[in-house]
Amino acid sequence: MGSMDNTAKRLLQRLVRRIPSQMLKTTLDKWSRLTAAQRQSMDYTESKWALTEKLLAICEENELTVKHIAELEMIHVIENPNLGMWYVFQLMDPQDDAHSVELTQFKEQFKSHLSELIRHVSIKIKKHTDEAVWIRIAWGDTFSRPNHLKPTYVVHYLQTPYVFLTSPTSKQKPLLSQALVLSTRYQAIKDANLSGRKLTAIRDLLMKQYLQVFPTKFPSPLAERNCVVSNLHIEKEQAGSAANRHQMACEAFGDGILPQLQSAVYKLETKFRDHTNKTMTERDEPFKCVVKFASTNLLESLRHSASSGVASTPVTPLLSSVPLKGKNYFVITDNGPGPSSQMKPSQK
Amino acid sequence: MCGSAYKNRPQPNYCSCVVPVWVNERPVREILTCQSPRTTRTHPRTARRRPPWSFSVARTPTDSIMAQRRSKNKSYRQSYRSCLGAASRLSHTPGWTARRLNTSRRTKSHNITEKVNPEDLALLVKTEWQLSYVTPLYQFRHTQLRSYSRQLSAFITAEKQQGLAVEVEGAQTSFRVSFSAVQGLGETDDDAETVLLQIHSKPVFAGKDEAQKLVWSGWLTCINGNPEYLHLLPKDFTCLPLFGSRGAENLTSLVKSWFQQTFDCCFGPLEINQTCLQWLAALWTNCHIESSIQHLKMIWTLPVEPPLQITYTVNSQDVWELWNSVRNPSLESREEEEAARSIDIEEVTRFMQGLKSHFYRHFRLDLSAGRLSQVSSALGSAKFSGRIKMSNSRYVLTTLTLLTECALLKMPI
Amino acid sequence: MCALSEGVLSHLSLLEVQARSRKSRLQQQSRVMELKAKVEALKTQREQLKAQIQTHQVWGLMVAECDFRSLLACCNPLFFPALFYLLISSGGYDIIKTRKGKGACVSIATAYEDVFLDTFNLEIDLKPTVKINRHNIPPFIPLNNLAEQNNMQTDLRVFLDTLSQHLNAFAGRKQQLKLVKEKHKSVEVMESNVLCSLLVLLFTVPREKTAVLCTLDYTDHTRCLPTRVHLESEDKQLPDSPQWEKNCSLLMETPVHKALITMKKMGSIV
Repeated sequence: MGSMDNTAKRLLQRLVRRIPSQMLKTTLDKWSRLTAAQRQSMDYTESKWALTEKLLAICEENELTVKHIAELEMIHVIENPNLGMWYVFQLMDPQDDAHSVELTQFKEQFKSHLSELIRHVSIKIKKHTDEAVWIRIAWGDTFSRPNHLKPTYVVHYLQTPYVFLTSPTSKQKPLLSQALVLSTRYQAIKDANLSGRKLTAIRDLLMKQYLQVFPTKFPSPLAERNCVVSNLHIEKEQAGSAANRHQMACEAFGDGILPQLQSAVYKLETKFRDHTNKTMTERDEPFKCVVKFASTNLLESLRHSASSGVASTPVTPLLSSVPLKGKNYFVITDNGPGPSSQMKPSQK
Repeated sequence: MCGSAYKNRPQPNYCSCVVPVWVNERPVREILTCQSPRTTRTHPRTARRRPPWSFSVARTPTDSIMAQRRSKNKSYRQSYRSCLGAASRLSHTPGWTARRLNTSRRTKSHNITEKVNPEDLALLVKTEWQLSYVTPLYQFRHTQLRSYSRQLSAFITAEKQQGLAVEVEGAQTSFRVSFSAVQGLGETDDDAETVLLQIHSKPVFAGKDEAQKLVWSGWLTCINGNPEYLHLLPKDFTCLPLFGSRGAENLTSLVKSWFQQTFDCCFGPLEINQTCLQWLAALWTNCHIESSIQHLKMIWTLPVEPPLQITYTVNSQDVWELWNSVRNPSLESREEEEAARSIDIEEVTRFMQGLKSHFYRHFRLDLSAGRLSQVSSALGSAKFSGRIKMSNSRYVLTTLTLLTECALLKMPI
Repeated sequence: MCALSEGVLSHLSLLEVQARSRKSRLQQQSRVMELKAKVEALKTQREQLKAQIQTHQVWGLMVAECDFRSLLACCNPLFFPALFYLLISSGGYDIIKTRKGKGACVSIATAYEDVFLDTFNLEIDLKPTVKINRHNIPPFIPLNNLAEQNNMQTDLRVFLDTLSQHLNAFAGRKQQLKLVKEKHKSVEVMESNVLCSLLVLLFTVPREKTAVLCTLDYTDHTRCLPTRVHLESEDKQLPDSPQWEKNCSLLMETPVHKALITMKKMGSIV
């Protein structure tokens, strides 16, 4: 019975399966738990099964444990943050010293607070070159050891109010919220109603790292894409309104390549109003429905809808709220957008 | 079914139907004027018994055509086939494709659980079927179903052994095909009886005692087919225009090949078009009082770059009230008449318009710019690509009536 | 040789051309004189503004809206690059009115050491209340706090000036970090953050190869210089040595990338 228990073996197997062979070499190098000789002995043209066996043997040789394999997984996830589903939470009401929280302080505080809340938990914190703080949490409970096969990843940029989580379960959320709030010196945390598959996309959206368009004194024509002019007369006539639509579409959603959101969901609870339908208009109850917009790049689809005329301009605030507010889940009532769920850390 | 409902059903709009017939490679237009059905309210049964050629027909060269139609020989079959081929090559095929779906539809639900074999019914509902249309089958006999089972079985086994349809995984031998007639699924005598096909098989490495599993199923049906069209068909043709299949694609193509060879017919993909999808949305919503639809879900696709998919799901109570508000004022006094009252296309249009306008009010996006690609509710789901699921047995007949109409519209002649 | 054969007419046209060019040359000359005078006037103005900046340490150029723009308008970057640069590089901001006066769009330019950096924009509703509509300011700049503290409702200009200060200071610190990474590869950046309000550097002392950890705290977010410098070393005596005390005050008073150059010259670090 070596150092690698069943969980460690399974974790390693899963990792080798997931990581494409050509990336395996660089990931293992970054891990730096293998000696030069061991690294040389790996033949990446072999089958995944063979590679797994080889690695298992090496890990046993080096007396590595599940914690080390967890490290390897973390390296892989940090390099590939656009797999899986991310949910955004927002910290609220910073205390006076929130802006001066620095990394060592945050790490210590987070680890100590979370360990206080749960008996068995495994926490790994790593700072990435783009200033992001990555946290990997394996959850256990009073009776069982941390489960490394179902970790939660947390990403936070210090001095910003946003926290990105993968797969938070309802049991883990309050504990995590408590630890985050205390270690970042804020007072509360709430669901930011933004989610997506690509971490980089939702991060860029919230950090305003994409090309936004603002009204200028000397508006220059926005770069035109290659369009085939079918009829010069039509083009001339439509040129003005087309340019206008394009400008409004870009002002609402941005220019150039936009962060890749996959969907936006609107829960509508507004009254039905249509002057041609008296019965429904006189109804007191709201017309309840849910609308979901989905695309490989939602913001670009919406922008194209506006610039092509499929969506009327000026763009409705419901749609432009996605980039403006950095949200993709909305509850719309007749009194305006509904309040987002606020979660105060549980008093323990 | 209720006799008065049948009698009072809306009559199809008769007009001059132009059917191109090619004789010896030369087109001859045959105009069939139907005897004024608006004035004579003959009982459908008597009307049905009149053979097609009793209609007044322009004489030349009728006789030769009629004579040819009666013959079973190969040359006739070839010319009929060439009709189909030629007609389908035409970009605008007059005749049946010039007609549109019925603008009015009965909505009565039918409790067929008593009439239909429960096993067959169970197979039919709760499964998603891929639809195709089939041209009329030549010399198909409901009495020969067992023989057909054997023939198809042999055909499939032979094709598989030839390695024409090679599968790496799940290679199977010994296919057992069963054709069966589904009794009780149908309303009129005009409709040919629905035929159900099932293919059972055992995997290659299965144990001796392991039972054969159902690997493929399909059906051919005609529910409330247009009597006008059905009467026009010559005696030896059976019209089962709607084909539904579920299972491996290679088996589906083998079944189709066999049918094409044996019954001289053509298969083609049946798309469920916008109008049809809208009809289903309205028909299902209409059933909410009787059987809860839980919600009405519609999926639209907008032609932007990249394509945008919009899923619009409406609460069942709210959508039912909207539907109710767009109905034409009811002329029926009795409750049962009320429940079975027909739906007109204008009501469906108003319903869809209401849904779209609520959407527009919020998003300033006109859904008409896009294409409705899917409609679903607790009673079933329908996709533009031709996939249908009927989850509640009460509405199977209504749905199949609509789909039969769609299939008939696709007939090349 | 054939002048006469080419004709009197051609000779006359030649004379005409000559006369014309003389006239245009004259015109050009007077125009040049005009422009030269303008240059002098603007040069004086530039000196005045430069002086103002130095004495008041103003980050945002508090020029009245119209003066700023009219200055800019008559200042052709081709002829008066210095002045143009000055006006832009001192990090002023530009406002345009939108939606028929109901809104405004503010453009805040940032610059550091004569290098034009990012531009930040805010779209503001002016009626019925002053409210920020849309912006591309990153979330670590406490926009809402600044708006509240500076009474954005009543004094938009003060708010914008403060915001401009914060943004310019951030841009400056970010630029310093970038230059440290590019130009001082021997110095390792141990820690930094998105706001660039904290910098931890690892120095190596030459010869002994001792490591010195230097923490720069920029707690005043409106400034490009640190408010606190803290040194730690394996050699406990080192931070208290006169050389390093000098380095400490150097780091407090000089932008870090420049301070490092000096420290290298002095032989304090590798």
